[in-house]
Amino acid sequence: MAPTRLAPKPIGVNENLNGLLGHGITTRSKQLASLKTHKDILKAPNKRKADSPLKDVTAKRAAFGDITNAFNKTTALQDKDKAMGLKKVTVETKMLPTVKSIKPQTTTLNGKTSKAKTLQRVATNAIDAVQKHFTKDPPKPVATRAQNGILKNIVEKKDKCLNQNQSQNSAKSARSDVSEPSLYMTALETTSPSETSKEEYKTISEKLDKVNLDDTVRSLDEETEVPHKPPADVPDFDQENWNDPFQVSNYAMDIFNYLKSRERLFPIDDYLTRMKGITSWMRALLVDWMVEVQESFELNHETLYLAVKLVDLFLTRSTKTQPEKDHLSKEELQLLGASALFIASKFDERIPPLVDDFLYICDGAYTLSQLLKMEMNILRVVDFDLGIPLSYRFLRRYARCARVSMPTLTLARFVLEQCLLEYGLLQYSDSKMAAAALYLALRMKSIGHWTPTLQYYTGYAVKDILPIAIAQNATLHKKPKSAISTVRNKYSHTIFFEVAKVPLVEDSVLSS
Amino acid sequence: MQKYEKLEKIGEGTYGTVFKAKNKETHEIVALKRVRLDDDDEGVPSSALREICLLKELKHKNIVRLYDVLHSEKKLTLVFEHCDQDLKKYFDSLNGEIDLDVVKSFMYQLLRGLAFCHSHNVLHRDLKPQNLLINKNGELKLADFGLARAFGIPVKCYSAEVVTLWYRPPDVLFGAKLYTTSIDMWSAGCIFAELANSGRPLFPGSDVDDQLKRIFKLLGTPNEDTWPGVTQLPDYKPLPVYQPSLGLAQVVPRLPARGRDLLARLLTCNPALRMPADDAMAHAYFHDLNPSVKNDRC
Repeated sequence: MAPTRLAPKPIGVNENLNGLLGHGITTRSKQLASLKTHKDILKAPNKRKADSPLKDVTAKRAAFGDITNAFNKTTALQDKDKAMGLKKVTVETKMLPTVKSIKPQTTTLNGKTSKAKTLQRVATNAIDAVQKHFTKDPPKPVATRAQNGILKNIVEKKDKCLNQNQSQNSAKSARSDVSEPSLYMTALETTSPSETSKEEYKTISEKLDKVNLDDTVRSLDEETEVPHKPPADVPDFDQENWNDPFQVSNYAMDIFNYLKSRERLFPIDDYLTRMKGITSWMRALLVDWMVEVQESFELNHETLYLAVKLVDLFLTRSTKTQPEKDHLSKEELQLLGASALFIASKFDERIPPLVDDFLYICDGAYTLSQLLKMEMNILRVVDFDLGIPLSYRFLRRYARCARVSMPTLTLARFVLEQCLLEYGLLQYSDSKMAAAALYLALRMKSIGHWTPTLQYYTGYAVKDILPIAIAQNATLHKKPKSAISTVRNKYSHTIFFEVAKVPLVEDSVLSS
Repeated sequence: MQKYEKLEKIGEGTYGTVFKAKNKETHEIVALKRVRLDDDDEGVPSSALREICLLKELKHKNIVRLYDVLHSEKKLTLVFEHCDQDLKKYFDSLNGEIDLDVVKSFMYQLLRGLAFCHSHNVLHRDLKPQNLLINKNGELKLADFGLARAFGIPVKCYSAEVVTLWYRPPDVLFGAKLYTTSIDMWSAGCIFAELANSGRPLFPGSDVDDQLKRIFKLLGTPNEDTWPGVTQLPDYKPLPVYQPSLGLAQVVPRLPARGRDLLARLLTCNPALRMPADDAMAHAYFHDLNPSVKNDRC
């Protein structure tokens, strides 16, 4: 399969797919550049559906048309969120020198000077707040933090509910370890959670105690013990973050155990062997295009991962139950991808793109009724169950628990995303894929091994994930192909610490 | 669709009409929620999409059961277990004061359903008496997940346009888009007080400002000391400074001290300090809960 030169119609109707890939457009950097150039024409329509495409921008990109347009619309709407995002970015700058470059970029992305000013102001306020904060309460070094956590866990566990604030210091500093200085960062990672002073909590407690005077039993007793206790050499991440409500620490362990238990409900098999006319290369092209859509619409990564899952689940299940004549044709492959993104957006996004946006990115290859029919078809085949455990989520959890630095987490994300394109890796569970990607990233940066902490929070020993890490490494070693270069380009950007340029390692490094 | 015989219209959900119906074969009574799918529309509404797939996962005694989803070209029909009434109607049907044991039982079941949602990474985001169903056996079930969503860890920004005004927490009233399980716990607190007062709403505000004032008159106006970060919230505005009256004894006179303590811990303005559902279930107020309620798990 020639990587650079695609047949005129490699995926049937998908000249658009082909076009998109061929032109290698909609990379973030180019969009940023273009937004800057066309700053003057970027009005901020206060609704999602712009009346007419922005001619200047679209003319340059006939091949992908409305992507830019839709992108602008989304940006306008999310300005408020951006402001919040920016705030955290700046907050994090204090701990993470590399983040400095982010702020101007974010501002450029918004492309509106007036907005930029506001954002700048918000950012300055945030810096002030942080500085004020740290003057009275300097962050503690990492080692102390971990010890704090263990000690607290052992000594004060019983009282955790009444003393929610005690782990405050460690929680506070812990946040600086894993910050998300990217435009894709989740909002939580972007906002400094509200801090509560011990004194203040005490006041409330006292008040409550007064209310409680006639009670002999304390309102919160020993029954509310943390049910999951890590071994002595493993810091209790949730305990340390107990007072950061956005970590949902009291439910985190339950939730991830639950997600892991659900993985077996969504097996993906070697479905291509049952299909005629669709190859793993076509699937790779499709996923590459889906990554581009995710970037262009600024969708959450969870949306992308869910959409790819929907594609594979749909093909796994539909080819099992339906006669061969009803199998998806290669002409419908992009329709499947677009519909999967459409569904995943509605499930996960706060403001999902509109159906017209999805029709547009397919360059009019499909009609509205085709897309809606495919939507229903997918939902029927997956039985409306969209709560599919995703490797992306497991990875963030594991990296946070192990206090992995942002560049290393990003490298692991690059591994995972590159592997989304790899048909041969679909058989592995998402939690294992996440653990293996993190292991591979740690070894690539030669900054560590599989620690007891990682083993505890992932539930996997090195031997469980080594074969997968080796398979992932093989994917990275594959000769880059220009037709599927989106992930590589994306992670070559400074926003992503240029992790795609991290030197590859031999398998021997993994098993050593 | 021939499987069910429509009996009567029950009401309007977030996105569709709800009918009472009978399964023609089993004679089981169910609730049917119909979602119209128009050709020129956005396909399956995201609220319906979320409700269906979240309820498919959440199988618990205190959460309304979704039996089936029927789809045709033009509509989706959700088949739910049928409950006799919602908590609002239950209040209306009360003759005189509510039995305090019933308050305790309902509150416990509400918390148990919520703890289940939260530990399965789901936020309800629209808790109110109309969305709590009560059946003949005195069982309470969370319903109408049209505004619910799955959350990630850590949570991301979600919509600020959630939760009916009277049950909306102060952080969301101030425009917070970043919230977590605490959003439901505030609503649970409001419902607790409403239960204890036999159906009189605790904070029946007329608009966002009025709502905030009603809350702060009872609990005190928060400031950066009592709630760090409050002034940074998107829609924060300075409001009259009320001192905490702590007059919970006057507000919920029939509730015993332990109950008032639990209520105060739920009605905490600062979301970081609001008590989570699993802790609330372990609160001393429930120590003398009827064991048949406590042990009656899914």
